[in-house]
Amino acid sequence: MKNLLEFLQKYYHWFLFLVLETLSLVLLVRNNNLQNSVWFSSANAVVGKVYEWSSAVTAFFSLNKNNEDLMLRNYYLERQLTQLRRLYAEATEHADPAQQQGLDSLGSYQLVPAKVISSELHHANNLMTIDKGKADGVEEGMGVVCGKGIVGVTYLTSDHYAVVIPVLNSNSSRISCAIRGHQYFGVLRWYGKDATHAYVEDIPRHARFKRGEWVETNGYSSIFPAGVLVGQIVEVYNSRDGLSYRLKVRLSTDFGNLRDVMVITDRSIADRVRLMQAAKDSLRLNVEE
Amino acid sequence: MSTDVLKRLGLFVGFILAQVVVLGRIHLLGIATPLFYVYFVSLFPRNYPKWGVLLWSFFLGLFIDIFTNTPGLASTALTLLAFVQPPFFELFVPRDSVDDLKPSLHSIGVLKYSYYITFLVFIYCVVFFSLEMFSFSNWLHWLMCVVGSTLITLALIFTFEIARNQH
Repeated sequence: MKNLLEFLQKYYHWFLFLVLETLSLVLLVRNNNLQNSVWFSSANAVVGKVYEWSSAVTAFFSLNKNNEDLMLRNYYLERQLTQLRRLYAEATEHADPAQQQGLDSLGSYQLVPAKVISSELHHANNLMTIDKGKADGVEEGMGVVCGKGIVGVTYLTSDHYAVVIPVLNSNSSRISCAIRGHQYFGVLRWYGKDATHAYVEDIPRHARFKRGEWVETNGYSSIFPAGVLVGQIVEVYNSRDGLSYRLKVRLSTDFGNLRDVMVITDRSIADRVRLMQAAKDSLRLNVEE
Repeated sequence: MSTDVLKRLGLFVGFILAQVVVLGRIHLLGIATPLFYVYFVSLFPRNYPKWGVLLWSFFLGLFIDIFTNTPGLASTALTLLAFVQPPFFELFVPRDSVDDLKPSLHSIGVLKYSYYITFLVFIYCVVFFSLEMFSFSNWLHWLMCVVGSTLITLALIFTFEIARNQH
């Protein structure tokens, strides 16, 4: 203790200097915008990194519990799957294996099977008619899929028929899709002429993927659940303004031979999206108040 | 209060007023600003208590900052300068000189005083402009500000010193 006091006495002007200098620097950083913002951005970067590491460590310790929860959920989902598979086999005459697999992923959603009764392929804006309508639970703005992949969105419905805007329509609603296995998502567009290929645009330039990877819906829309197949990447181009990638995708759905489709009448997706939007709106109102 | 403190207080107020009212508004060519108040820190005699040097300089910087609305800028730089000034002045002092030697052209000679004051002003300008700009992306402008302000401040200080020593 005595040594400490002696040390302090001998070097007191160092401490005074440090105190005054720190005080000045604090004043500088807190009250001057440029220094403040530089300090905050780099401090935040450092703090963010540290928190990232520490949360990685704590997440590691809860892996066991997460594992158990996932196993339980897996079990319930598989049970539901076998039930639906049975129901679907009863509902349709044939069970094409590729179609089976595609529709398996839609297990938990309410589906209405339908048949395509008229379709076009060779115009710039093609339309399709299916043989289910309001009486069967089909309404406007519902997603339509087939076993092999995505088909389109219902546009007009009458009591017993519905018109669907397929992907092969340059006015089709821009369906949000993602590259399977990555989070990079873009928008599906079709520009005419080739009924077997479409384009996924606005893929960010930092995305890493290969040709041949599958593209599917990413669940960001209120119409399609995640995982509905769209197609396979054949070619990668730069977008017109050079700021993103444009992928040429070979559509997995064979629009030429399309006969059996399913309409996703499950409103839970739309409900989720509506709830999220309501939450955002109310938060915005609260901030403005 | 001792006469020294009162005298220094007068100098303190004088420097602040001069800087704030007159000199702070001069920006030659847009790059050179006279920072005359640095002269205050260079006036502390040898063996003046170090805590005194630090506190005087800190408050000088603080008041200048209050007037120029840049909290912390001048006080950081001046406190650093005050920390450096006592040992630095010792380097220029011949071994057998008076215990409370005041730094001036007269007391340690023109050449040594020039080195001393140039170094102090240059260090102050470097720290001041680095903190003010807080980035070295436009290093040419930074360099011009430092050199320009150093030169004009030195010009003022030397004028003052020569005038003082005419008495």
